[in-house]
Amino acid sequence: MPILSVHQSALSEVGRVGRLDLHYARHGQRTILAHSRCSSPWHLFPPMYLDATGCAFTSLVNPSGGFVAGDQLSIHASLDRDAHAVLSTPSANRVYRSLGREARQTVTLSVASGAILEWFPEVMIPYSGSRFVQTIDVRLEKGATALIWDSLASGRMARGERWAFASLRNEIRITTASGERLLERYEMGPDPYSVGLVSTYDYVASFFVVSDSIDPTRWPPLRGIVADVLESLGSDLLGGVTEPTVPGMAVKLVARSSEVLVTVQERLWDATRRALCGFCRPSLRRY
Amino acid sequence: MQGGAVRSGDDLFLYVEDMFRQGVAHREAVAVAIAHEALVRNDIQAALAVDHELHAMKLGQESRVASQQMGRQVVKIAVEQPTAHVVLRDFNAAMEAERTPGHFPVALALTLADAGWNKAETIAAFCYQTAVGFVSAGLKLLPIGQREGQHLLERWMPMLDECAVRAAESSTMSAWSPIQDIYAMRHSRLESRLFRS
Repeated sequence: MPILSVHQSALSEVGRVGRLDLHYARHGQRTILAHSRCSSPWHLFPPMYLDATGCAFTSLVNPSGGFVAGDQLSIHASLDRDAHAVLSTPSANRVYRSLGREARQTVTLSVASGAILEWFPEVMIPYSGSRFVQTIDVRLEKGATALIWDSLASGRMARGERWAFASLRNEIRITTASGERLLERYEMGPDPYSVGLVSTYDYVASFFVVSDSIDPTRWPPLRGIVADVLESLGSDLLGGVTEPTVPGMAVKLVARSSEVLVTVQERLWDATRRALCGFCRPSLRRY
Repeated sequence: MQGGAVRSGDDLFLYVEDMFRQGVAHREAVAVAIAHEALVRNDIQAALAVDHELHAMKLGQESRVASQQMGRQVVKIAVEQPTAHVVLRDFNAAMEAERTPGHFPVALALTLADAGWNKAETIAAFCYQTAVGFVSAGLKLLPIGQREGQHLLERWMPMLDECAVRAAESSTMSAWSPIQDIYAMRHSRLESRLFRS
């Protein structure tokens, strides 16, 4: 390929093919970002320390405002032994209309023994006509813990835009040290049937908590607490909790409003943190 | 039904149709297709792989265990045949050794493939059997009779055919049935239940 074409090709990828690498390590009482690297559009902010746990609170900032056709963004985070990090986003993950190519986000999260990873991004909003593929691959060493939250909105409801994206594929894989796996994979397209009974709701979320370091007798009481939270929010929320194929807890829910979604996320996160780690939910100082 | 999502035969029709179109047709029925091909190609590893992947995807603990119990029964009977296919026998051995979960869609596919059924027939049989299960539950829990139950099956038939065709062409399992998944999760907390768990 001529040099000019190579440069043009590379230039066309700036801001569209971005990678964020985050490597956390325990340093005394705190978790620090031992190594990091990012390419546009990702912007790296140093972690914050919002409580006394030493947990590194990291905001994943994409200043471009969302995904457009052809974007290929990736996040690769690893936690060393006994590290503790919360990864979140400052605002909703917007996916803009595409006339052809899909936008993609690939996430790999590796958690070492004794480490705790909490993945709590803001909701994904796929605009009308958008095309999006997301893959989240979580790998846990023996003794590691992961809290994984993932939520989806029907679209821009204020514009009357609901479940109008062109295509959406989402896959969450969680693999433990023993090789046990939890896999959630859904795919929706322009098929008029593809949304189904969920169409009367505007938000769908999954919450997975996985750890082989927790005494198995502690899961049933936590699932009971979570079930009570889900049932306490009235008819604007429908949710269930179960024992998945990996040591832990799986929650699935649908909600009719963003207020209810935010409330249930806060309560579930708080209940889980208190039960498993002895900490309360952090205030992310987002608003 | 006790959760209030299904109160009539028409509700059951819509609930099950949605579950087939977004869930069963893309997940369990695809597992049937892949497992059927595995036996035809004499490929035990493919049968074990799809069984494990289906296991990882079945979030609800009760429905996962029920699927394993049914699968185990089917395979145990099938391998009693002296001419049972080597893939079916190897699958049974893996199941007995707890090296594979032994889910019903995989077990049924291997069994029917060994009996000479083609892939399309096998997927259709699985879909029809699943639909019959919902009608049986509906007859006990809803104010519907045998005749309406038969009518439900008749109304679902075109949809079941579509699902079978779609599954036969797929090689990747997926599922989008959050409402049904949630009600399946909530089943264990109901005060009275038709099914043990």
